[in-house]
Amino acid sequence: MTEVLFFIEVVVAGLLAGTMYSLVALGFVLIYKASSTFNFAQGAMVFFAVLAFVGFMELGLSFPVAFVVTVLLMVLVGLCTERLVLNPLMNQSEDTLLMATIGLGFVLEGLAQAAWGVEVRRLDLGIGDFPIEWIIDVFGLFVSALDLTAGIVAAVLIIGLALLFKYTRMGLGLRAVADDPGAASSIGIPLKNIMLLVWSAAGVVALVAGMMWGARAGVQFALVDLALKALPVLIIGGFSSIPGAIVGGLIIGATEKVLEVYLGPFFGGAIEGWAPYVLAIFFLLYRPEGLFGEKIIRRV
Amino acid sequence: MTGNSDNILEISSIEVMYDSVISALHDVSLNVPRGKIVALLGGNGAGKSTTLKSISTMLAAERGKVTKGSIVYDGTEVKNQSPYEMVALGMVQVLEGRRCFGHLTVEENIIAGAYSRKLSKSQIKNELEKIYGYFNRLRDRRKSQAGFTSGGEQQMIAVARAMMAKPKMLLLDEPSMGLAPQLVAEIFNIVKELNEKEGVSILLAEQNTNVALRNADYGYIIETGHVMLHGSADKLLNDEKVKELYLGISKEGRKNFRDVLREEGTKKLA
Repeated sequence: MTEVLFFIEVVVAGLLAGTMYSLVALGFVLIYKASSTFNFAQGAMVFFAVLAFVGFMELGLSFPVAFVVTVLLMVLVGLCTERLVLNPLMNQSEDTLLMATIGLGFVLEGLAQAAWGVEVRRLDLGIGDFPIEWIIDVFGLFVSALDLTAGIVAAVLIIGLALLFKYTRMGLGLRAVADDPGAASSIGIPLKNIMLLVWSAAGVVALVAGMMWGARAGVQFALVDLALKALPVLIIGGFSSIPGAIVGGLIIGATEKVLEVYLGPFFGGAIEGWAPYVLAIFFLLYRPEGLFGEKIIRRV
Repeated sequence: MTGNSDNILEISSIEVMYDSVISALHDVSLNVPRGKIVALLGGNGAGKSTTLKSISTMLAAERGKVTKGSIVYDGTEVKNQSPYEMVALGMVQVLEGRRCFGHLTVEENIIAGAYSRKLSKSQIKNELEKIYGYFNRLRDRRKSQAGFTSGGEQQMIAVARAMMAKPKMLLLDEPSMGLAPQLVAEIFNIVKELNEKEGVSILLAEQNTNVALRNADYGYIIETGHVMLHGSADKLLNDEKVKELYLGISKEGRKNFRDVLREEGTKKLA
C-alpha cells in the first residue's frame, strides 16, 4: 500500500511540476502560432523577468507593486522586440526570424546581468516547499505546497489565456493571424498589434514561470536552460496547439519524475535532465506532428 | 478629401518590380468609376494579381514595389500605406485562392472581417444577419470549420469576410478559380447584387472572360504587364479580337494580342 501511495505522490509531484512546463510551452506556442518561428529567447525572457522582479523587490518595492512593474517591463520588452527586431524583419524567411530570436536571447541575458548582477538570488514567495498537512491527513499523500500553488497558478493562467483567445476580438485576430497572416492582413487585422499582444503574453507567462522556479531553485542563470525543457514538451504536444502544450507539459513532468525515481538509480541518478529529450526523440520518430499538432487541412 | 472625381480609383502608367529586378508590370493605366464593376482580364502571368496587390498595398509582403506611375484611390494617393490602413479607407482585397482561415468556423471567419471596425457584439450580430442575407448558403454552415467547406463555400466566405469590413471598393482576384460553372454563376450573381445594393465599386481580375464581361460594366485586357485593349463590357464581348483570343471563337495561328497587332501592322504597311 505504501508503495502505491508513494507512486501516486511521485506522479502528483510530477504533474504539478509539469504545469510549469506547460506554461512556458504556452509562451512558445503563442509566438509560434503568430509568427511561425520558434522563440529561442523564451528562456532568456524567463531569466530576465524574474531577475527584474527580484531586483525591484530588493529596491524596496512591495510584492504586488514589483509584480505589476515587472509585467509592464515585459510588455515594454515585447514592444521593443516588435519594433526593433520583428518589424524590420517582416516578410523575411522564418529562418531569419529564428536567428533573430537567438540573438534577442543573448541581448536579454546580457541586459539582465548588467542591470542586476550575476549572483544567485533567493526568492521567497512566502510559500514553503514542504508538504501540506491536511492532504497528509485526508489522503495520506505528501504534496508540496509550492508544487500545488504552481499548479493552480498555471491552470488559472492557461484557462484565462484560452478564454481570451476564444472570446475576445484580439483573440480572434490572433487566431486569424496564426492561420494565414496574409489573409488576416488583407482584411485589416494589423499584424503589429497582434505581435505585441503575443510577445506581452509570452513575457507575463515567462515572469510567472520564473517566479515559481526561482522560488525553488534560486534565481539564477540555469533558468534559461530549464525553460528550454519546453522544447520536448512542444515536440510531444505539437508546436501549434495550446491543449498540446498543456498535456505535453503534464506528460513530461510526470514521466521525468517517475523515471527519475524508479530508473534513476540504475543510471546513477539525475536522469530528469535528459529523459524528456529521449521521450521527444521517440515522438519525432513515430508521431512527428505531436499529440495535438494541427493537421494541415488540405482540400483535394 | 473624398474625391469629387467620378472615378473611385485612378491608376496611371504604373510599373512594378519584384525584388528590385523582376519587372512584372510595365505600363498599366486604368480607372474604376464609382459604383461600377470593372473586369481586369488576361492569362496566367499577365499581371492581374500584381495590379490588384499594388492597389491594396499587399505587394510589399512579396517584396514588390511600384516604381513608376501613380495610384489614386478615393482622392488619396496610395504610396506607403499598410494593408491595414487601406482597409480603414474602405479598400479590401479578396486574395486569389480564397485564403479562408481553415481552423476557424465559417462564422468566425466572417466576423474576423469586421476586425478593423471595432463593433459591439450586437452590431456584429446585425452585420452578420445582413451578410447572411446575401450568402444564404453560409448561414447553414456557420458552425462548420472553414477548412472543411467546399471550394464554392470558401469563395463565399472570402467575399463575405471582406464585405464585413464595409468596403467602398472591393478587389476580387479570380473568384471563379477552380469552381463549377453553376457555382461561378451563383458567386457572380452575389457580387452583382452587392454592387447594386451596397454600392460597392468592384475591380475584378478574371481568366474567365465570358462570365466576367457579362457581369462587368467595363473591361481591361492585359498581357505581359501591358494594357492591350479596353472598352465597355458590351463592346469587348462583341469585339472580333476578343472573341477570337479569349472567348474561343478562333482563327488559326494567332495566339495573343501581340500577334494580332503585328498582323494588323503588316497589313497596314502592305
